[in-house]
Amino acid sequence: MNNRMWKTRVRITLAALLAVMLAGPAAAQTREQAKRIYDRLAGVPPTESVLNAMVNNTGTDPVCAANGVTGAECAAYIAMEDPSFYNVTLKNFAAPWTNRDRSVFVPLNDYVATVIGMIRDDVDFRTVLSADLQYVGRPGTVGTAPAAANNNHYEQLEAGNHDLKAVLEPTTQSSVNGIPSTATSGVITSRAAAEAFFVAGTNRAMFRFTMVNHFCTDMEQLHDPSLSPDRIRQDVSRSPGGDSRLFLNNCVGCHTGMDPMAQAYAYYNYDETGGAIQYTAGNVQSKYFNNDLNFPQGFRTPDEQWTNYWRTGQNRYLGFYGPGADPVTGFGEGTGAKSLGVELSNSSQFASCQVRKVFKAVCLREPETTNDHNRVDAILTSIGQGPIIMKQVFADTAEYCMGQ
Amino acid sequence: MTKAIGIATRALNRRSLRAATTVLLTSIVLAACGGGASTVENPVTQGTGNTNDNPYTGPVAADADVLKFQQEFWGNAKTTDRCGSCHNETVGQVPMFVRNDDVNLAYAEAVTVVNRDQPSLSDIVAKVSSPPVGHNCWVADPGVCGTIMTTWIENWIGATSGGGRQIVLTPPTSSDPSNSKNFPDDPALFQQFVYEPILSSYCAGCHSSESSTPQQPYFAEAGNDPAPPAAAIASAYEAAKSKINLDSPGDSRFVIKVSPGAQGGEAHNCWNNDCPTSSTQMLNAVTAFANAIDPTEIDPNLVYSQAVRLVDGTVASGGNRYENDQIALWEFKTGTGSTAFDTSGVDPAIDLNFSGDVTWYGGWGITIGANPAQGPGKAQGSTTSSRKLATVLQESGEFSIEAWVVPANVTQEMARIVTYSGGQTTRNFALQQTLYNYDFLLRTNAADANGDPLTSLNGDPQLSTPDAAEVLQATLQHVVATYNPIDGRRIYVNGTLVSAVDPVPGGTFVDWQDTFALVLGNETSSDGTFEGTFRLAAVHRRSLTQEQIQQNFDAGVGERFYLLFDISARIGAPVQSSYILFEAQQFDSYAYLFEEPHFTTLDGSAPTGITMQGMRIAMNGREAPVGQSYANIDMPLDLTGGNLDELGQPLSVLGAVLPLEKGPEDDEFFLTFDNLDGVIFDRDENPMLVVNDYMATDDLRKPDIGVRTFDEIDAAYSAITGVDRTSYQRGGNFLVDETYQELRQSLPAIEDVEAFLSSHQVAIAQLAIQYCDAAVEDATIWPTFNFGAAPNTAFSVANRESFVEPLITRAVGHSRLGPQIASQPSYTAVYGELADFPGAGNRPENLINRLLQTPGADTRSVAKGVCASVLGSAATLVQ
Repeated sequence: MNNRMWKTRVRITLAALLAVMLAGPAAAQTREQAKRIYDRLAGVPPTESVLNAMVNNTGTDPVCAANGVTGAECAAYIAMEDPSFYNVTLKNFAAPWTNRDRSVFVPLNDYVATVIGMIRDDVDFRTVLSADLQYVGRPGTVGTAPAAANNNHYEQLEAGNHDLKAVLEPTTQSSVNGIPSTATSGVITSRAAAEAFFVAGTNRAMFRFTMVNHFCTDMEQLHDPSLSPDRIRQDVSRSPGGDSRLFLNNCVGCHTGMDPMAQAYAYYNYDETGGAIQYTAGNVQSKYFNNDLNFPQGFRTPDEQWTNYWRTGQNRYLGFYGPGADPVTGFGEGTGAKSLGVELSNSSQFASCQVRKVFKAVCLREPETTNDHNRVDAILTSIGQGPIIMKQVFADTAEYCMGQ
Repeated sequence: MTKAIGIATRALNRRSLRAATTVLLTSIVLAACGGGASTVENPVTQGTGNTNDNPYTGPVAADADVLKFQQEFWGNAKTTDRCGSCHNETVGQVPMFVRNDDVNLAYAEAVTVVNRDQPSLSDIVAKVSSPPVGHNCWVADPGVCGTIMTTWIENWIGATSGGGRQIVLTPPTSSDPSNSKNFPDDPALFQQFVYEPILSSYCAGCHSSESSTPQQPYFAEAGNDPAPPAAAIASAYEAAKSKINLDSPGDSRFVIKVSPGAQGGEAHNCWNNDCPTSSTQMLNAVTAFANAIDPTEIDPNLVYSQAVRLVDGTVASGGNRYENDQIALWEFKTGTGSTAFDTSGVDPAIDLNFSGDVTWYGGWGITIGANPAQGPGKAQGSTTSSRKLATVLQESGEFSIEAWVVPANVTQEMARIVTYSGGQTTRNFALQQTLYNYDFLLRTNAADANGDPLTSLNGDPQLSTPDAAEVLQATLQHVVATYNPIDGRRIYVNGTLVSAVDPVPGGTFVDWQDTFALVLGNETSSDGTFEGTFRLAAVHRRSLTQEQIQQNFDAGVGERFYLLFDISARIGAPVQSSYILFEAQQFDSYAYLFEEPHFTTLDGSAPTGITMQGMRIAMNGREAPVGQSYANIDMPLDLTGGNLDELGQPLSVLGAVLPLEKGPEDDEFFLTFDNLDGVIFDRDENPMLVVNDYMATDDLRKPDIGVRTFDEIDAAYSAITGVDRTSYQRGGNFLVDETYQELRQSLPAIEDVEAFLSSHQVAIAQLAIQYCDAAVEDATIWPTFNFGAAPNTAFSVANRESFVEPLITRAVGHSRLGPQIASQPSYTAVYGELADFPGAGNRPENLINRLLQTPGADTRSVAKGVCASVLGSAATLVQ
């Protein structure tokens, strides 16, 4: 057994042990640990009485009883009862996903509110890229109703510092954005995401930022030039500046995988004039034919049929396990953004990314030690191919990072 | 068995041609399409400069074809500086196709050496272009003579045969793909066996960019350097690959170049004036290099076709452009030397001389660069020959500039693509690049109502393509600038009119200077470099129509071949009958383009029901590692269906760009299949990527703690002080909220303590003061504290804890008597700092005492100061 294999097996064993520990009785924790759990989750200091309730709680607190947790996990659930967990921690957790600069300084929007609501309601987070779901403020909370063509509703919720934990209510995205329910794709088709990633361009931005935000990896890390370039669109020059080496060594690696999946967004656009997402069922947006004479022998998009080549080849480590696999080719296949959202979120990489993002939010750093990775692996093992309940992930992570 | 295909234009309707297919015993002849240009206008005939000795006084042409022969071919070829010094009735050299006594007899001779179906394959063309110097070729490059001769024949034949020509597909010599030697990635062997012993010693005097007389290709790069850097070796290696034949070292260009003429060589700068020895040394070096490389063996399990090289294919291009009004044409076919020849056939030829950074581009073309060592590149014609433009165009009053270009970037400005000028401020016309735009500058005599000229000496105002359209891209583009007095200037890109209506009314070229020079890729003064590649450039004496421009765009650029990959044996068909047909070309200096794959037969048979899955293009014994556009194809081969065109069964509309390895003369291609007619290749899946977790070294490990970020600080202050910033107001002003919105982006945005700046602390202090101001004025958390009392009373030793304890409890987390949080400063420590410590040594006394000593201090001010010091401290900031 070589050294790498030995380490791997030790890691797996430790991860399994930790998984058992996650399921077992929680260890006792100190007042300092409870304070840190609260600080990290709620973002604000706990009151003395809350801290008293958190320390070594045996599950008697109502929220702990409801979730069947005790000890540090219970402490975390108590901390997540603070409105600031939603108004501050989760808002800034999701805000960077909604713009190209990945800035936290953006107004509250439908994307962020939906993420907050899903976490509050323990909705399986794997549906975040596919559901016909949107969270809005309870009627009467603010003066302006949610609308397809502006963000006023959410900006007013934020300006009024309304308790999002209390006022957010689920509704269908299709009823707000005015697109068919079958065309909704969770936060992908939210107004905020459309404004950021469907605006102008070629719609590849939507795919790339979905990778960045929900696979925790940029396109360069997903580079696989050995895949067939048969779906790379005509706008990609095969000889940029007269040098095909650039294409053959660089461009092709990302576009082989990206273009066949970004085809799922062929009917979407963000209408800058109207300020709303646009869906043209059956008609490919003209942006898919930009610069189509750059390489006329390239792929010309006929519809919204997508293919996931990454189920094969070197990128199959991403671990797609959804229902879209073609039994012959092994590729993932489907039609439209919604099924692509299912494909992407039913993968080990999606789960891993969510856990790592929580780890960063709670532990204030990326996983960087064997113990860190073991804990991440243990959480992922406990999730498996099942639902991702984000509050549970926050609690498990907060317990790990509560300090000595 | 052959197959003939009409190729008048690439845009023709091939499906209709299929219907016209006639099956012969051993060949299929598809009717010539009759497409091509609809015009019947005569091509431009010879201008001035023809040195024909005597005017023709013989019999008139017997028919229309003889007349076209006389006008387009005979008149050009009969001059004594070309064919007329020998092939005439006086000297008697047969064939006497330029005899001056009877054009009808000359015609009878000429038709014996001309291929009317494929003019480029005429015997007479082969004769003048035969290497190394051609048969009495009248310019330095025999290929140019061949091209010009072809043009004359096309002008003669094309006008009488409707522009349609046929290509005859003949089965290539069948051969199995051979094990092949491929260039290793590492140049070490090249350096050891070829570069150091030969190239750097004997060739670096010219074939290095550092030479005083640099001559491309730079396969001896940095040869004068005692220890050439790795980059120079790598550069030399790339340049040398196309000159080395690993499978047959004796056929390497390196060897042929220095071999004596008696051995079929070119005796090019043999060292020590000893070509036999030079040749032997070079051959030994290349052989040693080749012997050190293990051949790539073909996987015996592959399901593959027979193999062909690009040059084994049937030429598919040429002759289908609209060229009737062409007066200058540069196709850049020469590939060596420092001259691009004008092959329009219209004298005088504007041959362009290179200076500065100009390199030949694979698959016909030149690249203009701005390498400072060589100076900005340009290709410039002489003023004498350039005068042709002024002479012809002043007469026609209209013209077009046409170019296939690859701009190197979209950042260059005022970069001259084609200019006919005297310098930066004087020109007759220019086509240039400015960022994403093409600009057209033209000088005419147009004038306004006052008689003032509407165009400047420089051709301003320029007409540009619209900024928003960003039509100029750093990729191969066909751009045509046309002008006529009615429509004004127009710019077409890739066959589409993209410019707006020319605001300048039409005029003539009467004011043009005929002393200017035509330049490609720069200004005459070399200060307007266009970095990019030319693959073709032309000037026409007419304003081309939309249809003519589209025809030339459809015709494409570069030399294309039909490649036939024999799969007869694989599908149980008769020998040399069934093929996968590709149209292929060298795409640029580094790649090939394969497109339009078809299944076809040459014996008229129509196989059907043949499974075909996963087709890949292989090169030199192995599948190309990238660019396999047909890898996912799954289509039965079937020549009985309705979806056929004149080439056969189309298999894909996609093209495949594949990396060039040894060059078009040496790279051997074949096809592989995952499944062909039920024979399956079980392909191994690429290994899965192993992604290792990030492990920080001790010095890179991040701290376990961090700081609260902006919204957290705000929420924490709100929780501590009990102030809701969105509802708290005084005098109608939302003081806390306004302060927070102002400071929000000045507060820490990330938790990383290492990113915490003094400016963050300043913002925190401001916000803390604002919250404490509201809290003290509101007094909710201090219900028993008497803010109305005098400072010394309110903050007496006995009273001060009633103010401080709620603050510490809410901010730090523990009260005086409650359980302490060990990770926070203790209650006692904080209380001492604020209210109790008497001072000792360098440590001052407590804050309240010091504030009370401040002149003019009042109770609320002291309270706010104490509050802000707690809120702004690390006890609340660190998490």
